[in-house]
Amino acid sequence: MSFVSTIRVIKFAFQNFVRNSWMTVATVSVLVLTLVSLNMLVAMNVLGKVALSAVRSKIDVSVHFRPDVDDNRVQTVKIFLLSLPEVKDVTYLSQADALTQFNQTYHADAGIIEALGEVGQNPFGATLIISAHNLEDYPKIMAALDDPLYADVIEAKDFDDRQAMIARVEAVSKKLELFALAVSAAFGFIALLIVLNTIRVSIFARKEEIAIMRLVGASSGFIRMPFYVEAVLWSVVALAVCAMIVLPAFMFSQPYLSDFFGTDSVDLLGFYAANAALIVGAEFGATLLMSCITTKMATAKYLKV
Amino acid sequence: MIRFKNVSKTYPPDVIGLQNVNVHIRPGEFVSIVGQSGTGKTTFAKMLIAEERPSKGQIVVGGWDISAIKPSEVPLLRRQIGVVFQDFKLLPRKTVYENVAFALEVCGASAKKITSVVPQALKIVGLTGKADRYPRQMSGGEQQRVVIARSLIHRPKIIVADEPTGNLDSLNTREIIDLLKKINEFGTTVVLVTHNRDVVNELRRRVITIDRGMIVSDQEEGRYLL
Ligand SMILES: Nc1ncnc2c1ncn2[C@@H]1O[C@H](COP(=O)(O)OP(=O)(O)O)[C@@H](O)[C@H]1O
Ligand SMILES: [Mg+2]
Repeated sequence: MSFVSTIRVIKFAFQNFVRNSWMTVATVSVLVLTLVSLNMLVAMNVLGKVALSAVRSKIDVSVHFRPDVDDNRVQTVKIFLLSLPEVKDVTYLSQADALTQFNQTYHADAGIIEALGEVGQNPFGATLIISAHNLEDYPKIMAALDDPLYADVIEAKDFDDRQAMIARVEAVSKKLELFALAVSAAFGFIALLIVLNTIRVSIFARKEEIAIMRLVGASSGFIRMPFYVEAVLWSVVALAVCAMIVLPAFMFSQPYLSDFFGTDSVDLLGFYAANAALIVGAEFGATLLMSCITTKMATAKYLKV
Repeated sequence: MIRFKNVSKTYPPDVIGLQNVNVHIRPGEFVSIVGQSGTGKTTFAKMLIAEERPSKGQIVVGGWDISAIKPSEVPLLRRQIGVVFQDFKLLPRKTVYENVAFALEVCGASAKKITSVVPQALKIVGLTGKADRYPRQMSGGEQQRVVIARSLIHRPKIIVADEPTGNLDSLNTREIIDLLKKINEFGTTVVLVTHNRDVVNELRRRVITIDRGMIVSDQEEGRYLL
């Protein structure tokens, strides 16, 4: 297509865009809703990972020894544990430490402290706190401790609760993501219908012009192209509006989210900055693809040229 | 210039538009196609510009067999045939000048070409002074002259006019027919579809009469028969 024709096609598209202003507003709005919910999906994905790593980083296994176990035995177990390749670190908590910690935890609860006093002696055994390189390694480490050589001196190992917590975090974030995906898909579908209808109305509004164009010998490309250009315009405007909603929302909510997760690693804006090309490209590409496919459907159906 | 060979057109499911039509129209002729309503005159005109395809037979325009013309080639054909159709109106929101220019614009003509050709076309139809008017500010006859100016814009070898005087009084009708005659004198082949008895009888040119899809008479210097 020649330069003048291209300019004229763009002019036609802008006319459509401006003339059917209410349709344009509706179309852009639903595209914005779709894009915003897609970005919520992305954000949830990021936050889900943050939540998981926050939980994971706090995970360790506490091995409580019986109060009567000799400290040397405990040190032997520690050395054994450190010799395992899966183990990153082992912290030793003496009987006295365990008591102090207990007192600190429950200092507000007079009843419990009193009950402890009645026991008369330190009821706690020493504790080894094990952290592994990988979450998946814990079961192996636990299994190693099941050896009768160690099992006899160990009173309790607590790990299972945290596994349940990880599972819960994973489940919740999966569910949230699924929900966001469903919402995005629903908006996407509505967007498709609205775009289809807008183009139909747009074609209808230009019915006479199109009839004349055909009879005076305008090429079918020239007649169709403005509708595609219009779809591109919608996509650009929708993406811009979406950015104006999503980015300030992230900026505003970031401190609260960091607080909530108790970590500094909530950085949605940072994530977006790092993946800007990919995110903008994918979202613009998807919007454009969707509106162009719809335009193709609409023009094939309503534009007999 | 135009040749129909054994052309038949059946609209689905089985409505007959034209039946076994054979016509040869030479360059520079002024041919009237007459016949009662619903006999296939518009079908004839539409097949000439590939708006409809023949169900059978062959149509050749200027040496080009358009019986099975590709959709992408139709615009090329349309730029060589000027069309004045019944339901082919002016755009109300454009001025006379813009309406005529529109036909060039959408075919990719340069701005320079548009500014030189549009005034020429308006001059031929005698509307030079009314270029800035809107269609609603003009009489039916004047509007039809704008349509003719638009059909001339690609300097076509052929003009097809389907009932161009259908809604006009006798004075305006005469003006339009005179204009078509003038265009014909410049060498353009004119195919005029009409059921106006007076027009045909006064023209004293070739008359093809169609009845129920078939050519029932074809006379040089003919008269309106039905
Ligand atoms: N698009 C169409 N679909 C079905 N039938 C049609 C169509 N166009 C015309 N016809 C029929 O073909 C016949 C010829 O129509 P037409 O060429 O318009 O006649 P005229 O112009 O002489 O009045 C009529 O019976 C008409 O109803
Ligand atoms: Mg007709």
